Amino acid sequence: MALIECRQLTKTYRKGESTIKPLDRLDLDVEQGSFLALMGPSGSGKTTLLNLIAGIDHPTSGSLTIDGQNIAKLSRSKLAAWRSDNVGYVFQLYNLVPVLTAYENVELPMLLHPISRKERHERVATALSLVGLADRHDHYPRQLSGGQEQRVAIARAIVTDPAILVADEPTGDLDKPSALAVMDLLTRLNQELGKTLIMVTHDAQTAEYANRTLHLDKGRLADDSVQAAFSGETATTQGAAS
Amino acid sequence: MISLRYWPFVLKQVWRHRVRTLLTVAGVATAMYLFVAIQAMQRGVAEATEASAADTTLVVYREDRFCPFTSRLPEYYLPQIERIDGVTSAVPVRVVVNNCRASLDVVTFRGVPDERFADTIGRDANITSGTLEGWQRRSDAALLGETLAARRGLKVGDQFDAAGITAYVAGIITSDQPQDQNVAYVHLDYLQQQTDKKLGTVTQFNVKVDDPAKLEQVAAEIDALFDAAEQPTTTRSEKAFVAQVAGDMIELIGFTRYLGWGCLIAVLALVGNAIVLSVQDRIKEHAILQTLGYSGALIGRLIVTEAVVLGVLGGLVGAAGALATIRLTRVSFSVDGLSIPIDADLHLLATGLLIAVTLGVLAGLVPAIQAARRPIATCFRAV
Ligand SMILES: Nc1ncnc2c1ncn2[C@@H]1O[C@H](COP(=O)(O)OP(=O)(O)O)[C@@H](O)[C@H]1O
Ligand SMILES: [Mg+2]
Repeated sequence: MALIECRQLTKTYRKGESTIKPLDRLDLDVEQGSFLALMGPSGSGKTTLLNLIAGIDHPTSGSLTIDGQNIAKLSRSKLAAWRSDNVGYVFQLYNLVPVLTAYENVELPMLLHPISRKERHERVATALSLVGLADRHDHYPRQLSGGQEQRVAIARAIVTDPAILVADEPTGDLDKPSALAVMDLLTRLNQELGKTLIMVTHDAQTAEYANRTLHLDKGRLADDSVQAAFSGETATTQGAAS
Repeated sequence: MISLRYWPFVLKQVWRHRVRTLLTVAGVATAMYLFVAIQAMQRGVAEATEASAADTTLVVYREDRFCPFTSRLPEYYLPQIERIDGVTSAVPVRVVVNNCRASLDVVTFRGVPDERFADTIGRDANITSGTLEGWQRRSDAALLGETLAARRGLKVGDQFDAAGITAYVAGIITSDQPQDQNVAYVHLDYLQQQTDKKLGTVTQFNVKVDDPAKLEQVAAEIDALFDAAEQPTTTRSEKAFVAQVAGDMIELIGFTRYLGWGCLIAVLALVGNAIVLSVQDRIKEHAILQTLGYSGALIGRLIVTEAVVLGVLGGLVGAAGALATIRLTRVSFSVDGLSIPIDADLHLLATGLLIAVTLGVLAGLVPAIQAARRPIATCFRAV
C-alpha cells in the first residue's frame, strides 16, 4: 500500500454563482520515501493538492488516505494534531515569524510536544545544524538572506521528524546559488533521512531533482513520468524505510 | 489557561511588538489610574458616611447649623446628656477649622477636656509617637492625626499654626477613623480661650452609646430634652452627620462612579483595539502556526493570554501609580472640618488587577475566536 492514496479527490470552491473546481476526481499514489515533483500551469490546482495532503484544507469529496488513515474524515482539532506529527510544510515565501529568531522559529512546532526543555533544545540545535545554520540561531528573519530564511523554514519543517515533507515552489523566490543549496538540502532529506517529499515547481530543472514528475492541468493529472535514473534509488530507500 | 512552555512565546510577542505594547499599556495604565483613584474616593465616602452595625457615636449640635463652625452650645448641657439611659460617655468638643469650605488642606482643631480624650478618639486609635502625659502637661499641646502630621511634615516637639492658633505637637495618633485623620486634639479650655476669649461654649457633644441599636432612640431623647431650651439641638449618628454636612461633595464624588465605569470601558476598548489590530496583522502568522500543528483553540488561548498580559501590565502600572500617589500625598477631602479620606490599600490594587485580567479576557475573546475559526489555506491566499 502506498503511503499517500488519493481517490477521486475533489475540491470545489463557490465563488458567487459559479463553482471553481481546482481538483477534479484526482487519483494519485505516492510511495513512501519517494520524491515527487508537481508541475503545471498556474491555477491548475498544485497548491490545492499540496494543502490537502498537508492537512491544512479539507477535500470536498473523495478520500485521502495517509499511512492507512483517511484524513478527510478527521475533525479540525484532530487534523491539527495529525499535522504536528506527520507533515512539514515548506512555503515559497518561507513564512518565518518575523519577531522570532531562527532558533525560536524552529522551536515553534516542538512546543507542541511535551518533552523536556533540554531535549527540545537538542532537537532544535540538530535541525539548525542539519541545514547548516547553527551559527545563525539568534538571527531574526530580517537579518537573513532569502536562502538562509528558506533553510530555517526547512529546519522548522523537519524538527518534529515528520514522515512527509511538502514544499510549494521552495526555490521560486531564490537566486540560483541559494536555490541549488535548498535543492541539495531537500534531496538529502529525501535520500538520507527517507522523507517522502512532494514539491511543486515551475522550473523543469528543479523538477529533475525528483524521481517522479506529475503534471496537473485543470485539476487533473496529465501524465506520470517516473525518472528512470532515480527509480532504482527510490526502491532502495523504500526498502530501507519499510 | 495555556501550558507554561507557551509563555515565552506570548511574552516575546508582547515585548517585541514594543511600540504597540507601550502605547496600549500607557493607555490602559492611565485609565486604571483614574479608575483606582475614583474607587478610592468612593470608598472614602462609604467609610465616612455609611452606617455600620458597630457605630455607637452620636453628634449633638445646634439645630439648623450645618457648618460646625457656627454651632454654639452651652457646655452645661453635658451632665444632662450623660444622665440619659444608654449613654456611656459624652465629650464636649469645640471645633475650629482653618478653612470652613471644601478643601484638601484642612486642619480641624478639636478641643476636648483632658480627662475625656480617650472617649473621643476611635476605638483602635493609638498614640504612636509622644505620650498622653506629654499632652496633658502643656496647655498648648496638640495630638495630631497621622495624616495631618504627615501632610504638614510635623513631629513631636514642633510648633505649628493654623486658623490663628499656635500649638505644640505633643504626639501623633493613628486611628482607623476617618475623622481622626486631619485633626489636632487640643485642650478644650485652651481652644475656647484662643477663639472665644471665654469658657463655656462648645460646638458639639460627641456621645457614645452602649448599644448600636439604641442610637436612634438616644438621639431622639437628647433632642427632646433641649427642645424648649434656648439652644435646641439636632442629634445624629456621626456618619449621618458627615453625610449631611458633606452632602454636596458626596453627591459629586458619587457621580465620579460613572467616570470609573468609563475608565473600564476605555481599558476594554484599548486592549480590544490592540488585539484586533494585531490579530489582523498576524492572520498569516496564525495560519503558519496552524500549519505547524497548532489547533485553533490553542491559538485562541494564546491571543487571549496576550490580551491579559497587556491588560495586567497596564493595570499594574496604573493601579500601583494611583496607590502610590494616594499613599504619598495622603489626600483627603474636607468639608466644614469633616474629612473624607481617599483611601487606597493593597486590596484595591488586587481588585484593579482582577478587573484588568477580566477585561483582558473579554477584549481578547472575540478576535481569538475569529482567529481560531479562520480556515488556514484561505489565509495564505489572502495575503
Ligand atoms: N479559497 C479559494 N477560493 C476560491 N478559489 C480558490 C481558492 N483556493 C484556490 N482557488 C482557485 O483554485 C484554483 C487552483 O488554485 P491553486 O491550487 O492555487 O493553483 P496553483 O497552485 O496550481 O497555481 C485557482 O483558480 C484558484 O483561484
Ligand atoms: Mg500555487
